[in-house]
Amino acid sequence: MMISDMIETTRFGAVDFSVEDVVTLNEGLLGFPDQTRFVVIQHKEGSPFSWLQSVESGELAFLVVDQGHYMKDYAPEMPSDIASELEIDEESPRLVYTIVTIPKGQPNEMTLNLAGPILINVANRRAKQVVVEDKRYPIRYKVFSEEKQGQPAA
Amino acid sequence: MLVLTRKVNQSIVIGDGIEVVVLEVRGEQVRIGIKAPRDVAVHRKEIYEQILEENVSAAGTDVGDVPE
Repeated sequence: MMISDMIETTRFGAVDFSVEDVVTLNEGLLGFPDQTRFVVIQHKEGSPFSWLQSVESGELAFLVVDQGHYMKDYAPEMPSDIASELEIDEESPRLVYTIVTIPKGQPNEMTLNLAGPILINVANRRAKQVVVEDKRYPIRYKVFSEEKQGQPAA
Repeated sequence: MLVLTRKVNQSIVIGDGIEVVVLEVRGEQVRIGIKAPRDVAVHRKEIYEQILEENVSAAGTDVGDVPE
């Protein structure tokens, strides 16, 4: 049974979505505890980026990227309490997204929040922002730091 | 806020399975041990606050700034 719904968003206009595609973040994201239901919208065809668009507030969306896209060896430890909360076991299909921050008009200053990834159980579409305390994984990991010197001004 | 005075190796029990032990006091630093069930997340408060701030910044990202 497909139940569909629609949300008017600031970034994407009217977004139709199927209720069964909704990802539920039980406690929301830190700072947004009341926003618990999101849909994943691919940024563009072929893009590694997606948006987690709230289906409760049209203006709230987070840019996310697949965990391995910029950092092949990024493998934060997922605490067992969170795995059990999301009902993830060894065979569960899961997704890990990192949230991307781009300061207005400055794509070269893009950072990834490696300390607060979002873990999604793909089977039941339950998700949670995980707090990772690991010195290798900063909250603002600069993606383009090495290329900076040689890069032409945009 | 409940305020308690503790000495080194004394502890505080919270609820049914959480115990906080003062391990060492050295000048301004206090080392604390925490025993908690696996389903209780324990983190320093700063990291929560930093992630919260970063989430707020991230929520301002514009579609037009996303790299191709």
